[in-house]
Amino acid sequence: MNVTREEAAQALDDISRANERVAQVQGYHHGAPYFIIWGLVWLAANTSSHFLPAHEKFIWPFALAAGFLISMATGILQSRKWAKGAGLREAERKIGARMGMTDGIVIAYVVCIVMIAQPESNREINAMISIIFPFLYMAAGIWAGWRLFAIGLVTAAAIMAGYFWIAEYFALWMGLFGGGSLIAGGIWLRTA
Amino acid sequence: MDGPDEIIHQSMRLRITATLAALPGGEQLEFNKLKAILGATDGNMATHLGALEKAGYIVIQKDFVGKKPRTRIALTRAGRKAFDRHVAYLKDLLNGG
Repeated sequence: MNVTREEAAQALDDISRANERVAQVQGYHHGAPYFIIWGLVWLAANTSSHFLPAHEKFIWPFALAAGFLISMATGILQSRKWAKGAGLREAERKIGARMGMTDGIVIAYVVCIVMIAQPESNREINAMISIIFPFLYMAAGIWAGWRLFAIGLVTAAAIMAGYFWIAEYFALWMGLFGGGSLIAGGIWLRTA
Repeated sequence: MDGPDEIIHQSMRLRITATLAALPGGEQLEFNKLKAILGATDGNMATHLGALEKAGYIVIQKDFVGKKPRTRIALTRAGRKAFDRHVAYLKDLLNGG
């Protein structure tokens, strides 16, 4: 059997494309649970805030803390899948620490944004913080795959539409459409 | 330099083994997912998976999830070695070896 240099180049190109596609699908599958977790947090916190506005200042810290802790636990569980044997404890420690640091950076960023912009209403705070994430998904989607971009675009559009046109029911809108779009997006990523 | 692996070198079989080799060691991939990743048809996939299984490069595991049949495919150790050898051959050829 003879293989020409052109055939060899083509074969290596095919292998490279297969690797990229598998990495993309694995990235979708790793990311999916986080979309579902934060979709549920968003859904629960926003709908609770709508129906129990007097308790809003307790609802959000509790919901965010729960989201961060569940995300960290999910990261550790995912690490068990790919780091078996002797490297497992080290991998768990690293993933847990990195997820914790990521959470810390996000919280610090949100605190800075709120301090600088000084929003006057809960609706403004909610929209200002929530709109950050869909744009991050869109930016990540340019590198990691179009599904992430699409989830970010739909979620950002839902936030903007709710903020300007459905002010009175904004929290409920954010829970149902913002949270719902993340949950649906997470399920969609799992099917990739 | 070893020669090319005649089983793996065929385009679809190369893409199948490359996809399975990109998974963490021993991980299985469902038939439908593999088919979607490769953009292949059922018939085409079945033919080439049969050839790879016959060569001992992959294992095909069939079971049921509830009442739904499920087919999962994984690269064997022999398959991974053959794939690595074939990739090394292709790289050597390109580098003028």
